[in-house]
Amino acid sequence: MGVAFDDSVAVAQEWVDAADPRPVFPMLLDREHLLSELYGIYNVPTVIWIDEDDRIARAPVIAPGDDMFRDFTNIDSAVHHEQLRAWVATGALPPASGHEEVMLPTDDEQLARLERRVGAYLAREGRTDAAEAHFVRAHQLAPMDWTIRRGTLPLRGDDPFGETFFAFMGEWAEAGQPGYGSADPGAPS
Amino acid sequence: MADVTFLDAEHGARPASGRVDGVRVLLDPASLDALTGWQLKPEGLCRDDVCVPVRDPDLTVDGAIDVDRFAAALARPVVVDAVNGVVALGERSVDRRGPIEAGVAPDFTLRQLAGGTFTFSSLGRRKKLLLAWSSW
Repeated sequence: MGVAFDDSVAVAQEWVDAADPRPVFPMLLDREHLLSELYGIYNVPTVIWIDEDDRIARAPVIAPGDDMFRDFTNIDSAVHHEQLRAWVATGALPPASGHEEVMLPTDDEQLARLERRVGAYLAREGRTDAAEAHFVRAHQLAPMDWTIRRGTLPLRGDDPFGETFFAFMGEWAEAGQPGYGSADPGAPS
Repeated sequence: MADVTFLDAEHGARPASGRVDGVRVLLDPASLDALTGWQLKPEGLCRDDVCVPVRDPDLTVDGAIDVDRFAAALARPVVVDAVNGVVALGERSVDRRGPIEAGVAPDFTLRQLAGGTFTFSSLGRRKKLLLAWSSW
């Protein structure tokens, strides 16, 4: 199932409509980022493999659908897709790549999520000044969470691919790129 | 009684009945019960068959429940924005950590873009791929 960490059906639907081929699986909206809390999701695109017994077969990893941003991410999208096909066909799990990490929420991260949630609500109501104070606190509490640092940019009228984002990327890189990383980036592009 | 907006992860924004007093948001006990399932009884704060004793004299003000003190009594994170009449109640990090550490996939229900809602457990005994994405 596809879960959009977006604020409206309309915004997400635009992308679904443009997809070729169109998704035939359930496409959901997670405006409150509930799944961030339930599954430990800190960035998108994140994939999680869940088996027949509802056990996590593979912890969250970044797995782009294609190679559009390969120069940026250095991830070969084919690696994950091949591993996924093998798992579906045979149940085989990929070898531990060393890039995967289970991230467990801290108290600060939980509070950051609440601040983001309040900010997003206020922003959607047009109360942008009030929202900003909450976004600032959310960023302070969870500075390395992309769903918070980058995910709030559209609500603040900022560009997710602009200067603010690249400044955050710099911070994140300097901090050693914390997060669960990709499954297996494959060969450098 | 002013309308307060109560936010949580599972339900999003819901109206709550209460009032603002300075920096405090005070909710009607009936409203808080409807939103969270928690009731204040002589034994303390109770939900289903669990009761948490409360020794906080500031929990209630004229019969209304202070949301910040309520959260503190349950050791749960909370954001109270009295100026804007919004509160957000969260789950303890230890409670969210449990399933993740145990490697189990929690059930959830979310809106479908196509309309209606979708519940994860409806997929049953199949391999499932959860793909989190966004417009940003």
